[in-house]
Amino acid sequence: MVDTNSKRVGRIAGGLLGLLMALVVMASTSQAFAHAALIKTDPADGAVLAQTPTQFSLTFSEPVSPLVLTLVKPDGTPVALTSFRLTDQTLEIDNPQALKSGTHVLSWRVISADGHPVGGSLLFSIGAPTEPPVVSEAVDWPSRSAIWIGKVFLYIGLFLGVGGAFALAWLAGEGRAGQRFVTAAILCGLVAAPLSLGFQGLDALGAPLSHLAQPVIWRTGLGTSFGWTVLAALTALGLGLLSLAGPRVLARPLALAGLAGVGVALAASGHASAAEPQWLTRPLVFVHGIGIAFWAGALMPLGLALKRQTAGAVAFLRRFSCAILPVVAVLAAAGIVLAVIQVQTPSALAGTAYGRLLLVKLALLVFLFTLAAVNRWKLTASAEAGATEVQRRLARSIGVEMLIVLAIFGVAAGWRFTPPPRVLAIAAAQPVSVHIHALEAMADLSITPGHAGPVAASMIIMTGDFGPLDAKEVTLVLSKPDSGIEPLKRAATKPGDGSWRVDNLVIPVPGRWTVRIDILVSDFKMVKIEAPVDVRP
Amino acid sequence: MNKYLLSAAALLVLGTNAACAHITLETQEAAVGSTYKAVLRVPHGCDGKATTAVRVQIPEGVIAVKPMPKPGWTLQTKKGKYEKSYQLYGQAVTDGVKEVDWSGGNLPDEFYDEFVFRAILTADLPVGQKLYFPVVQECGDAVDRWIEIPAAGQDEDTLETPAPGIKLTPKK
Repeated sequence: MVDTNSKRVGRIAGGLLGLLMALVVMASTSQAFAHAALIKTDPADGAVLAQTPTQFSLTFSEPVSPLVLTLVKPDGTPVALTSFRLTDQTLEIDNPQALKSGTHVLSWRVISADGHPVGGSLLFSIGAPTEPPVVSEAVDWPSRSAIWIGKVFLYIGLFLGVGGAFALAWLAGEGRAGQRFVTAAILCGLVAAPLSLGFQGLDALGAPLSHLAQPVIWRTGLGTSFGWTVLAALTALGLGLLSLAGPRVLARPLALAGLAGVGVALAASGHASAAEPQWLTRPLVFVHGIGIAFWAGALMPLGLALKRQTAGAVAFLRRFSCAILPVVAVLAAAGIVLAVIQVQTPSALAGTAYGRLLLVKLALLVFLFTLAAVNRWKLTASAEAGATEVQRRLARSIGVEMLIVLAIFGVAAGWRFTPPPRVLAIAAAQPVSVHIHALEAMADLSITPGHAGPVAASMIIMTGDFGPLDAKEVTLVLSKPDSGIEPLKRAATKPGDGSWRVDNLVIPVPGRWTVRIDILVSDFKMVKIEAPVDVRP
Repeated sequence: MNKYLLSAAALLVLGTNAACAHITLETQEAAVGSTYKAVLRVPHGCDGKATTAVRVQIPEGVIAVKPMPKPGWTLQTKKGKYEKSYQLYGQAVTDGVKEVDWSGGNLPDEFYDEFVFRAILTADLPVGQKLYFPVVQECGDAVDRWIEIPAAGQDEDTLETPAPGIKLTPKK
């Protein structure tokens, strides 16, 4: 009876794992978004300039370092931009040459502090806009799958391998059940860690999988913050292996150092570690990682010890069940705080790929915690008392726990491709800009934030040939004929920096609005220019 | 949504009313090369406020402007150079009145008044087209500018604040 039950549970867990992979793939399909979000550019996206700019600047939500910067000319020829400076979160790029008139694309690929490369492009025109050259940013599925698999195996190595070595050294007593499994997991991690570095390099440069052998790929991968993760992971894995194979006296300190290495490896890169405030997030990720390694690592040796009814199995179980409660409490607390920092609003849980992955992970955790609670409070006492049937049942249940843990690793690795809502919120707050050009006058308008709700509009008014235009009055008129909303008309004020501003403006609904700027050039002359502008939800 | 629709409807109704109450010229047609008596009709103030000044810009090609004084209003003209020289009774004229201002008056919103000037429409003006006299109506701090001139092909009725204009007919 018990047997069939646990088989069923096993099947469910297997199905769950399959479903999960599907979810990870689905959740990560439409990710053109940034992890570090682009906040401001100069020239603005869509800007029309009179002359070649001497430099470009890109401002991001987090510190970044550039990987590939390319200027695509109107005829489609790319020019690599190699001279740049970083000041805080702003990247200033020198423009090496005079540009001919027409629409140019500045394509950028940078790596943010979380170690994840992001790319995008901005359009600007010299003189007048032309048909923009084609620049594609397609998702490279083979690379993406390789990164995901590498990450899952790295987790297996760190959590099940190094965590397992810790459990064997500190909790298992003289028992060595599971040592082969733990060694295999560590070896798995030792292979996955350097490979992940190469995959990271591929992703960073946007290169296909076939370029994996090129040295530049590896140098780039090592140069990102993920390089530190790999170095720390390799150290942790090495320490774990030494604690298994080295002299018995040193097993405990080596395993402890390895466990700390797991925490360091995780805290060195990733979304959560890159979030502000760093003094809080990095230690939390460290603690979270150690907690996972402690718990997940002990499962396999413990399960095998119970299954084989080894001499030390009961003592192992007792030590584990004594320690696990505070460990899980700290692990969960750290996880909750990190999730709150990343997700920010409850609506983002269902509304973003990151949030959906978190929901899947939470569902798996509920399942895992239920099993673990049953084990801890219903089975452990009688198993410790020596009831062999209960011990076997406990071992099977631990097997199912292992499957769920693997599934959770899969979900967590999927986060590699989804920007957290925290970052999306920063991206949504960036302004929408539009350049309106007419014969008699033109304007650069930016609406901040660029989504529906309370916004502020800022305008630079110029004559039709880029000269200064000292307007007497400027009025902003926003209309959306298809929505039945009558035009919103606001007089702009002059804050004194040469721009015109409209504060306390509320854009009621997102979508395509028509923006008109009425410029009173002289007492008896008004110029009206208009253009469509897309307001984000 | 309903609220928006309601306010949209309300604005539409108000908008049509306003359209009937622009500042206009009494005589809507005149021949080039003739003397034109312009009567600016001011049917209301600015959003309910009393009118305190009316200023009209004289377009190029309109010369020998003589405004009619009004009791209770200060009459001023602004002179300047024309773009080219015009013949007036055998004399070349290169400058003259470019703007006429009636100010310092008080015309409550519920009353109607007219502001008058005479001028010569030179024979060079394009027959068959419209000639516009942009008007700025001041009501204390508030201003209504009747200065919009339709672009080529644009329907004059779509303008929010059209400038008063006349149609130019051939010289008699």
